[in-house]
Amino acid sequence: MILEGAIIYSNLLVLLALGLTLTYITTNVPNFAQGSYAIVGSYVALTLLKLFDINPYLSLPVLFVVGAVVGLITYLALKPLLKRGASVEILMIATLAIDLILLGAIGAYSEILSQIVGSTQAKFVFANLDFTLFGFKGILFVSTFVIILLLIGLYLLLYKTKFGIALRASMENPSLAQTMGIDVEKTRLFSWILSGALACVAGGLLPFMQEIVPSTGDLIIISIFAASIVGGLRHISGALIGGYIIGLSESLITYYLSQAFGTGFLVYGKVISLIIMILTLLIAPYGITGVDWRKVKKMLFTS
Amino acid sequence: MIIEIISLILLWFGIYYIVSLSLNMEFGYAGIPNFGKALSVLVGAIAVGGILDRLLILYFGVGGDFITGTTYATSMLNDLIASNPIVGIGILILAIILASILGFIVGAIFILPSAKLKEDYLGVTLLAISEAVFLICMYNLNIIGGYYGISTPDILAFVPGEYRGWAFTGIVLFIAFLVYLFFERLLNTPFGRVLRAMRENEDTVKAFGRDIMMLRIKTMAIGSAIGAIAGALYSLYTVNIIANAFTRVEWTFFPFLMVLLGGKGNNKGVALGVLCYVVVKVLLDVYKYNLKYTLNIPFEPVWLSYMLFGVLMLLILYYKPSGLIPEKPIITPPMKKKIMEISNK
Repeated sequence: MILEGAIIYSNLLVLLALGLTLTYITTNVPNFAQGSYAIVGSYVALTLLKLFDINPYLSLPVLFVVGAVVGLITYLALKPLLKRGASVEILMIATLAIDLILLGAIGAYSEILSQIVGSTQAKFVFANLDFTLFGFKGILFVSTFVIILLLIGLYLLLYKTKFGIALRASMENPSLAQTMGIDVEKTRLFSWILSGALACVAGGLLPFMQEIVPSTGDLIIISIFAASIVGGLRHISGALIGGYIIGLSESLITYYLSQAFGTGFLVYGKVISLIIMILTLLIAPYGITGVDWRKVKKMLFTS
Repeated sequence: MIIEIISLILLWFGIYYIVSLSLNMEFGYAGIPNFGKALSVLVGAIAVGGILDRLLILYFGVGGDFITGTTYATSMLNDLIASNPIVGIGILILAIILASILGFIVGAIFILPSAKLKEDYLGVTLLAISEAVFLICMYNLNIIGGYYGISTPDILAFVPGEYRGWAFTGIVLFIAFLVYLFFERLLNTPFGRVLRAMRENEDTVKAFGRDIMMLRIKTMAIGSAIGAIAGALYSLYTVNIIANAFTRVEWTFFPFLMVLLGGKGNNKGVALGVLCYVVVKVLLDVYKYNLKYTLNIPFEPVWLSYMLFGVLMLLILYYKPSGLIPEKPIITPPMKKKIMEISNK
């Protein structure tokens, strides 16, 4: 039962971390607004549910489009700074500002929605809408299905199309790709759109497992960064590995600690992911995918 | 009404100026992207709520749980302060000393995990640590009362109610002035100049035999100590501590906004930035319901202020990245002498 929750959480974390890693690779921006993208998705799903009675699972394609627009707007807002060659601190502050704008917009929207629906919508869950299959929650299958779909899609895109080759080239070495005639601008645009879209889809699934308030995004951003950093911010598969490591350990370690020390421990999940992140930074600053495994093997065998 | 608003503006100016000055040393001078500034302010609250309050409970021998214990202990102390003002001033000084010592230690430890990190990883790590400590303080009611909140002593219990605001504003402004003098002296030394050099190019500083990590630790320790003083003053002013008040937006993002608006690396510019922000903030706070009903906004004005300040930050970054008053080049006395000689010729 607890493993089920851990897997669902990890799946969603992978979706969020993948976007973060993607935009970091292409534009070198650590995006603090990633958590709030997800909450935008949650509220759009809530709106569709309350006003048009659409099941949140069916609104996922809509969320994908909405997220793409949010990602695009973020990129356009950052573009003047990127063009000027602003330092990474300035870009981080800019994403913090975008995060704050999104938080304000979500909070304001949640109150407007409350007035339209006639009851308070500041806090909500979708868990009561979920179906069960073979004794498991439906969200387990849906989130896993989304991940598989995403991986197949990414694989086909990155390895089977011309655009994918261009994308990989500009991730590896943007200036070299540019001299080879690849439009790096297009790949950047693509990465931001995809990043927003994935985060919004994750946000539509998130209310199935935890309560959403407008500031939830500020909370989950720690886990997202932990996942991306543990996996390695320089490689796209890092998000996949890191997402599962952080997601599973955050849920499982917290669960076992709470069994040992009482339920009060459950709120410290974020502390666990923080500790794992700091340990990773100290031992392997570039994450698991950044480690030169051949060297490690050599070291182990010679000693 | 106007008088009260001016008092509030000056009070917030003092508190935020202290925080922004310390951030300016860390970010404006040393180039450390301290996205965990809120932690140092929270540490100030912990010094007052977690340590000072516990000492009072022990001193007065109050039984029972921590949260109600603080209410009894502080009300006993307030009676004492009402009859003897010296005690109040003593408690203030004690709180400041406790906060700065705790801030100094926490700041030095806070930066340690980031020994080998580049700017982006450093900023993320600092933000994550600060956020995690905030969460612990929020949900663990035994540190500073969490979301329930605890009482803190009223160091001005001897001042009649209607003058308390002004008296406290005076104290805060005085301390802010001392902090300003401290930073002006500190940053106009070789230490201040090496910090600027570190911001521009770490490798050069390393080549001249300076230990980058030691410089970072010193900067963060001093910066956090000063930030903690602001946190202690804020908790003493509000006479209670609720962990929810020490959010990232309020104590990390807004100080960054003020520093960047005023001009990073320039303490006088930062004062202007803080003043601009505080005037808008206090006016929004005081008139938020008038604003809500006259403009017929269908939501709480706090969300509007978030959007407003977020957009303001982006506009500053686009059009005035060096702030209202940009940083000036350093002119040391020997350089000044040389300039005088040249201009006399």
